[in-house]
Amino acid sequence: MRDPRREAIASFVPAAASSLLTVALSVSVLLSASAFRLSSPMIEGMPSISLSFYVDGTAAFFMLIIGLVSASVSIYSLGYAGSYSGKHSIKVLGSMLNLFVLSMVLVTATNNAFSFLLFWELMSLVSFILVVYEHEKEANLRSGITYLIMTHIGTALITAAFLVLYFQTGSLSFDSFRSAAGHLAPFTKDLVFVLALVGFGTKAGLVPMHIWLPRAHPSAPSNVSALMSGVMLKVGIYGLVRVTLDFVAPSTPADAWLGLLMVVAGSSSALVGVLYASVEHDIKRALAYHSVENIGIIVLGLGLSVVFMSFGLESLAALALLASMYHSLNHAVFKGLLFMGAGSVLMRTGTADMNQMGGLVKKMPWTSLFFLIGSIAIAGLPPLNGFISEWLTMQALLSSSQVPNVVLQLSIGFASIAFALTLGLASATFVKLFGISFLSRPRSKAAEDATEAPRSMLAGMTIAGSLCVVLGALPFVATSTIASAFGFDMGLVSTYAPFGPLTVGYAAGGLKSASSLSMPTVVLLVGSVGAALLGFVAVAGFGRKTTTRRYTTWEGGFGALDERTEYTATSLSQPIRTVFKSFFRPRTEVDRKYHSDSNKLTKRSVTVTTETREIFEDQLYSPATRAVVAVLDRVRRIQTGKINSYLLYVMIATILLLALVVFQP
Amino acid sequence: MTAQALEVVAIGALQLVAVFALAPLLTGIMRKVKARTQKRIGASVFQPYYDLSKLWRKDEVVSDYSSWIFRSTPWIVAVATITAALFIPVFVPLSPFSAAGDVLLVLGLLALARFFTMLAGIDAASAFGGIGTSREMMMSSLIEPGLFLTIFVVSLTFGGTNLTSLVSAAARTGIVIAPTMLFGLISFLIIIFAETGRLPFDNPATHLELTMVHEAMLLEYSGRSLALIEWSQSTKQLALLALLANLFLPLGMPASIDAGLLPLGVGALMTLAKVALLAMAVAYVETRVAKWRLFRVADLLTAAIASAMVGMIFFYL
Repeated sequence: MRDPRREAIASFVPAAASSLLTVALSVSVLLSASAFRLSSPMIEGMPSISLSFYVDGTAAFFMLIIGLVSASVSIYSLGYAGSYSGKHSIKVLGSMLNLFVLSMVLVTATNNAFSFLLFWELMSLVSFILVVYEHEKEANLRSGITYLIMTHIGTALITAAFLVLYFQTGSLSFDSFRSAAGHLAPFTKDLVFVLALVGFGTKAGLVPMHIWLPRAHPSAPSNVSALMSGVMLKVGIYGLVRVTLDFVAPSTPADAWLGLLMVVAGSSSALVGVLYASVEHDIKRALAYHSVENIGIIVLGLGLSVVFMSFGLESLAALALLASMYHSLNHAVFKGLLFMGAGSVLMRTGTADMNQMGGLVKKMPWTSLFFLIGSIAIAGLPPLNGFISEWLTMQALLSSSQVPNVVLQLSIGFASIAFALTLGLASATFVKLFGISFLSRPRSKAAEDATEAPRSMLAGMTIAGSLCVVLGALPFVATSTIASAFGFDMGLVSTYAPFGPLTVGYAAGGLKSASSLSMPTVVLLVGSVGAALLGFVAVAGFGRKTTTRRYTTWEGGFGALDERTEYTATSLSQPIRTVFKSFFRPRTEVDRKYHSDSNKLTKRSVTVTTETREIFEDQLYSPATRAVVAVLDRVRRIQTGKINSYLLYVMIATILLLALVVFQP
Repeated sequence: MTAQALEVVAIGALQLVAVFALAPLLTGIMRKVKARTQKRIGASVFQPYYDLSKLWRKDEVVSDYSSWIFRSTPWIVAVATITAALFIPVFVPLSPFSAAGDVLLVLGLLALARFFTMLAGIDAASAFGGIGTSREMMMSSLIEPGLFLTIFVVSLTFGGTNLTSLVSAAARTGIVIAPTMLFGLISFLIIIFAETGRLPFDNPATHLELTMVHEAMLLEYSGRSLALIEWSQSTKQLALLALLANLFLPLGMPASIDAGLLPLGVGALMTLAKVALLAMAVAYVETRVAKWRLFRVADLLTAAIASAMVGMIFFYL
C-alpha cells in the first residue's frame, strides 16, 4: 500500500468505527445503569497483577467523551493526513493515532492500579511520538522533551499515590481501594489526594504544571492536538475524579480543604490560561492556553463538589459535579472542533500565525462557520453548550453561601471573581481568534489563495459542531446522562422544574430563591423574537424599498487600503496587554536605524518587537532546571571514565551492602 | 393554556413592546438634558424616533471586504437584546418567561450581542473598526466580570437568579441600607456608565478616532442596519436602568403581579419616572466629566469589580 489515500482510509476508518463501538459500549452501560466487568485469569503467584476491566458509570461517561471526539477526529483525519502525503509516513500517524485512542479507552476501563499505570504510560508515550511526528523541526523535538518530562513527573506522583493506597490495602485492585475509602487515616487520605491532584493535574494541565500544553499542542499534527486537548486532558480529569470520589471519598468537614485546594488550583488555572491566551497570536498556542482555562473551570466545579460533599450538602454536591462533568463533555467537543478548524486553516495557509491570516471566511466558508460555532460555545455565550455548563458552575458558586464556614465562603467568593474575569476575557479572546483569522482581508498570499478544506474534514467538524448545538439547545440529554453516570438523581439537582424535563433548575431554599433555565424555551423565544422583528421590519419599511450598494471600505480619501492598515492579533490585544502589564511584563524594544548618525530626524527603519514573559517559566521552571543541572554537574564528577575508580565504587557498594546485611536490625 | 397563563404572557408581551417603543424616547431625554446643561437648546426629545425612521428609509452601503458576519450582526444584536429585555421585569414585577431564563441568561445574551458587534468591527477591514474592537475587548473583559459580580451580590442578598423572584424580593424588602447592597449599587452604577457607552468611558456623540469605542465598531453601518443597532442600544440602556431601579430602588413597585391594577399602574409609572430620573442623572454626570484616557478607564472598571467584591465580603462576614 504505497498510496497515501488508501493508507489513510485503512488507518482512520477503523479508528472511527471502533470509536463508535466505544460510544455504543458506554451508552449501553449508561442506559442499563449496570457496570460492565471483564477479568483475565489471575497470574499464578501475582494476584495483584491481573488484567481486569470494570466499566462503571464514571468510566462509561469518559468513554463517551473519548468515543464521540475520536470518531469525529478520525473522520477528519482522512482528509488531514493528505497534508502529510509524500512528506511523512501516514502509516505511522494512523497506527499511533489508533493506539492512542485505544490506550485512553483502556485507561478508563481498567480496574487495577498496575494496569492503569501501564496503559497510562502507553498513552503518554504514544502521544509523545505523535507530538514529535514532524520531527524535522527542532522546536517540535524541544516541546516533545518538555512534554515527556512533565508527563513523567505526573506519572511518578500518580504511582506514589497508588503505592500509598497499596500499602494501606495490600492490593492493587481498584475494588479494594474503593472498599478502603472510608477507613483511610486522615493523613493518608490527604497525601493520596495531593499526590493525585498534582499527578493528574500535570496531565490535565493545571497551573503551574501547564507549561507543556502550549508547547506540545502546537507541535503536534492538528488532529492529534484535537485528541490531546479534547480527550487526553479529560483522561487526566477522569483519574482525578476516580481518586477523589471513589478512593478518597470526602465525607467529613475536615476534608473540605481538599476541595478548597482544587477550587484554588482551578480558578487560578482558568485565569492564568485565559490571560496568556488573550495575548497569543499563534492560533494553536492560544487554543492550548484555553485548554488550561477550561480545565481550570472543570477542576473548580469538581472542587466545589468536594467542598459541598464534605459538609453533606448532597444536592449542591450533585449540582457542582454536574457542572464540572458537563463542562468536561463540552470542552471535549468544542476544543476538538476548534483544533480541527485550526488544522484546516493550517493545512490551507501553511501557517499558524494569525497575523498571516485574514479573509478566510470567504475562502473557507464552512470551516469558518464551524470555528465560529466553537468560538461562541467556548466563550460561554448562549445558546450553545458552553453557556449551560458555565451557568451551572455559576449556580454552584452562588450556592457557596450555604457552606457553614466563613473562610470557605470567602475563598469561593474570590474564586468567583477569578471565574468572572475568565469569562470576560474568554469572549474577548475569541473575538480576536475568530476575527483576525477569518474576517477582514487576507494578510498574506497564502491566506489569499486558501481554499476550502476537503469534505472528510468538514464531515468530522460537522459531528462536533452539531454536538455543540445539541448540547446547548437540549441540555437535558447531557444532564440525564451525567446523572445516570454518577448515580445521582436528577431530582436532587432539578428540584425546581417549571418546564418539566426541559429545565435545568435549582431551588436552594424553596421556590423563593429558585434559579432555572430552559434552553429549548429560550431557543423558541429567540426564534419568535427574530420572526417578529423580521415582520416588523417588513411592515415598518414605510413603503420605501431600500437598496444595498456594495463599495470598498471608506479609506479617508487616501487611496485604497491594503492589508498593512488592518489590525493584527498583536495590535488587537494591546490594550489588554497594557491593562494586565504587571502580569505579562511586556517587553517592547524599539530599534531605530538612521540614515546617518549625525541626523536623528530621518529614520531609515524602525523595528518594534514586543514580547510577553511567561512568569511560570521564568520564576519556577528555569530556576528549578538550573538547580537540577547544577546538582547533576556535581554528581557527574564521580564518572571519571577510569576503570579502576569504577572498581572502587563496586567495592564500596559491596561493603555497604554487606554491612547492611550484617547490621540489619 | 389557562387564562392566567395567557394573561401573564400578554403582560410580558405588552411590557416588551413598551420597552422597545419607549427606549428611543429615553435616549432623546438624555440628549436633551445634556444639551440643556451645556446651555444649548438641543433637539426635540423625539429626535431619536425621527432619526430611526429616516435611517429606515435610507439605502445601505456595505463594504466589499466584509462578510455575512457584518450583514447579520445588526439582526443578531437586535434579537439578542430584545430577547434579553423579555426576561427583565421592567414595569411590572414579572417577566413571563423568567422560569425559562434568568439574569445570567440576560448577561449571556448581552454578551452575545457584544461579541458580534466586536466581530463586525473587524470585518470591514478598516483600522477604525479595529480600534473600536480592540478597546471594546479590553473594556468588555472588565465590564462583564463587574456586571456578573454585581448580580452575584444581589442574588446572594435576595436568593436565586430568577429575575421575577429577585425583583419581587427587592420590592418586598424595600430599599436595603446594607453595606452589601450599597457596594453593589456603586459597582452597578459604574458598570451602567460603561455598558451603555457613556462618558467617561466612551463618548456616544463623537466620531473622533482618539475617543471612539462603540461608535468605531459601527462606523461602516448605514441605513436599516444602523437603525437596528441604535435601537438595540437604546433598549439595552432602558432595560439596564430599569433593572437598577427595580433591584436597588424598588420604591412603589408592588411585590407581586396579583397586587391589583392600581398598584401595578402606579408601580409602572414610578418605574418610568425613576428610569427617566436616572437617565437624566447619567446625562448630567456626562456633562461634568471629561473622557478618560483609555487605560485609566480600566482603573475605574477595576474599582467597580473591587466594590462588588467588598459587597460580597460584607455579605459573608
